[in-house]
Amino acid sequence: MSHDRARTDGSVPALELRGISKRYGPVVACDAVDLTVERGEVHGLLGENGAGKSTLMKVLMGLVSPDAGEIHRDGARVEVHTPQQAAGHGLGMVHQHFSLIEPLTVWENVALGEPGRIDRDAVCADVEAVGARYGLTIDPTARVERLSAGERQRVELIKALRRDPKVLVLDEPTSVLTIAESAALFEVLRTSVAAEGRGVILISHKLAEITAATDVVTVLRRGRLAFHCRTADTSAPELARRMVGRDVSLQAEGAALGLVVTDDPAKHLSPVLAGGLSAVPAEPPAPQAPADVPGTAALALHGLRLAGPDGRVLLDSLDLEVATGEIVALYGVEGNGQATLGDLLSGLIAPDAGEVHVAGRPVALDRPGALHEAGVGVIPEDRHRSGVVLDMSVADNLVMTDLRRYSGRLLMRRAKIRAQAEELVERFAIRTPSIDAPLRTLSGGNQQRVVLARELSAEPTVLVAAQPTHGLDVGAIEDMFARLREAAASGVAVLLISTELEEVMALASRIAVISSGRITGVLDVADASPQRLGMLVGGEAA
Amino acid sequence: MTAPARRPLASYVVGNAGLRRPSADAWRTAGITVVCVLVACALAALLVAISGGSPTEVVDALVTGSVADSAGWSQTLVNAAPLLLVALGACIANRAGVFNIGQEGQLLIGAMLGCFVALRLQGPGWMVITVALVAAAAGGGAWSGISAAMYYTRGTNVVVTTLLLTFIAAQVVQFAVNSPSLLQETGIGNGPARPQSDAVPEYLRLASFGQYPDLTIGVGVILAVVATVVLAVLIARSRWGFRLNMLGLNPMAARHAGIRASRLGGSALVLSGAFAGLAGGVILLGTVFRLQPAISNNFGWDGLLVALVARSRPGLALPVAVLFGGLRAGSSYLAATGVPDYLVDVVQALLVLAFVVPPVLSALWGRRIRNRSAVPDTPARPSAAPAKEEVPV
Ligand SMILES: Nc1ncnc2c1ncn2[C@@H]1O[C@H](COP(=O)(O)OP(=O)(O)OP(=O)(O)O)[C@@H](O)[C@H]1O
Ligand SMILES: [Mg+2]
Repeated sequence: MSHDRARTDGSVPALELRGISKRYGPVVACDAVDLTVERGEVHGLLGENGAGKSTLMKVLMGLVSPDAGEIHRDGARVEVHTPQQAAGHGLGMVHQHFSLIEPLTVWENVALGEPGRIDRDAVCADVEAVGARYGLTIDPTARVERLSAGERQRVELIKALRRDPKVLVLDEPTSVLTIAESAALFEVLRTSVAAEGRGVILISHKLAEITAATDVVTVLRRGRLAFHCRTADTSAPELARRMVGRDVSLQAEGAALGLVVTDDPAKHLSPVLAGGLSAVPAEPPAPQAPADVPGTAALALHGLRLAGPDGRVLLDSLDLEVATGEIVALYGVEGNGQATLGDLLSGLIAPDAGEVHVAGRPVALDRPGALHEAGVGVIPEDRHRSGVVLDMSVADNLVMTDLRRYSGRLLMRRAKIRAQAEELVERFAIRTPSIDAPLRTLSGGNQQRVVLARELSAEPTVLVAAQPTHGLDVGAIEDMFARLREAAASGVAVLLISTELEEVMALASRIAVISSGRITGVLDVADASPQRLGMLVGGEAA
Repeated sequence: MTAPARRPLASYVVGNAGLRRPSADAWRTAGITVVCVLVACALAALLVAISGGSPTEVVDALVTGSVADSAGWSQTLVNAAPLLLVALGACIANRAGVFNIGQEGQLLIGAMLGCFVALRLQGPGWMVITVALVAAAAGGGAWSGISAAMYYTRGTNVVVTTLLLTFIAAQVVQFAVNSPSLLQETGIGNGPARPQSDAVPEYLRLASFGQYPDLTIGVGVILAVVATVVLAVLIARSRWGFRLNMLGLNPMAARHAGIRASRLGGSALVLSGAFAGLAGGVILLGTVFRLQPAISNNFGWDGLLVALVARSRPGLALPVAVLFGGLRAGSSYLAATGVPDYLVDVVQALLVLAFVVPPVLSALWGRRIRNRSAVPDTPARPSAAPAKEEVPV
């Protein structure tokens, strides 16, 4: 443990957390954690799901009061009891889950919570200026409810950056940004951080991002400080080991972590990392599906067409087939209709035209639950929005899509629910104090696992997995990959909606590329070169 | 940043279904309530003294009218029954995330239909009473059903339509009791017919058990208590309750799970109106015996308040309804002692405020405490914690 080593030049650190502890009943979320952020430093914070990263940062932001510990800013002890105080001390944070008000516009959300008069034009100009500077373009007058997850993330980032924080906390900021976006963001962040003497704390499960973008890393394990070191002196495999406490075979999850090097031109990997890991072979493609299955595909989308309320075409004659036992990836830049398709397959919206066939039979899309009954399981992209009920218990969340199985004529079968919940918590390693805890109190990654556990355990015939590894830690990603392959091997048709090329290449046997709501091409993974995919992603036919 | 976008409105109005151990917050709320009631009493005493009355006599009257003896308790329970019925309906709607605030009107319509059946239908007493109560419930349900239809077909705001329909309901009842062909009384003798219906015949009045100086418990009270127990069990344990909670707490997830909002939410709205209508029937056949435009007497509004204070938990609505019923009984006794009406109203309002405000104060205060001090080893109370802890992970 060498966290005292960080300071070399005798200057006062921008931020120092000393001995922060926080317990939630029996759960120790943070256990005497020390953390020092120097000026001009990007500090990586790593740890498994539920390690206490978000809690530590919420203490810093005055959102959670710690049981013990001190916060020092520029060498002086400060009291941070409210978010306003935190902002006053120059602390800013982008949260793991969105905290935007959906019916409001982008600029309104950005200005929200600021004291004093609000000047619409000034805020809009600011949004554009900050956006241009950090490579996060967004229309300030757009309504947030119309934005894709990636666009929302940009709004959150702009909101935090506009307040010009001296220390900026980013809690998994890039899980829904494209690789190009996050690379651009970090490049600008690094230069501005170094030039202006700011500090940044970056929480991420993507080791490639950590090793490429940070100067120092700290690893938390079960609320305790487990490891601290300069980034240059460590490596991704070591960090993974420190996090999990065992050796991780970076093969399986390497792809999702961005460790497997592809020639994607959009991708900026540090040369060290690329050199260090290029030897890791990507997983062989998933079991090959019979090419051109005649007759019935497990999932068939025919001519799906959908226009948004503003008339913008979201899905444009979309055709796609997924055969039994096959993993097909829907790949493309975020915001090209993936979210709409996800909503459609979750039964949240009905298309203007087109049909969805499951195992050869058409599904009545305007009836809620019809897709679910037909055997379509969905891991939605935005889990908080349609995947969980935060104010219900973990157990309830684990069974809520299949109530008939867990109830009699009238009453719920509590014992059966509890048994199932206990089993899933065990099987999917969901870290929760009890199955009766409200889902809201779980860490972000563990909330994800609840959704995954429920949808995977429902034995669907078709599984739609949108960004299934977002927010998961190294071990869980490894597990997720295995489960998806296992599902496909047992005959489930898997549609993987992903913006991450590595994930797609590692898992899918066929890749369908989506652009502006249309499938621009379908390639076998063997023929999928980054160049061809790049052209398709850009909307050109291959 | 302070307002989490995904927290549905319903989660603030709805307490958790399961029972929880009394927490620090609960104790704080209790403490604040005591203080508030004392303050309200002091203010009320001051007002009474200023206007030339005797505070001690007022307190005496309030207590005598509500809890001093079994006659007082009988009055309290008579008032509590309709309040509780209305509150149960409000619990259902709140849990589904649709906010019905038109109970006053639904109650009026219920009373009107009940009256119509009671006066026109011939048959054995038990049968006519049953049909009248069912008609009352159906009337209230139909009235809120209008709001449900408007919401689920055209998206018209439920709060607005239920409220406005209350005023229409008042007009409809006015019309009915002013039209001889409908429900206006058949003036006996010479005096002009007043705007009210004939009295419901003796054999159609709800029975009550017990004789005057002793405690009397009406059928209405029994009905309300049974309904409370049934509803509490259904909400906590049944599939319907589970789906209702889900719809209120996250409509998107509910839809994903195959719940049709228009069906479940719409039926919840209808059901809440039906409970209000039933309350109207109980008032009509239990205490007032004739349809009058003022028969609702704010039972609808106060019942809604009961549900809000009870955070939409039927089990909690029972004691709250008894409390509010006591206040009503006490203040009508007070009015009978000659204290001016307006003073009675002010005193009652002060006392109601004293019970409504504490949970809010407690939540605000709890937030301050959490902000200011770092109390070690205080187990956090996750679910009902106020905004500060709710910022997304
Ligand atoms: N409000 C709360 N009430 C009770 N327990 C909580 C609460 N918030 C967090 N916890 C618990 O504290 C622990 C740490 O959670 P935290 O959110 O800090 O994890 P994390 O490191 O951010 O994980 P992830 O990578 O999954 O986001 C978890 O076990 C969680 O269940
Ligand atoms: Mg977290």
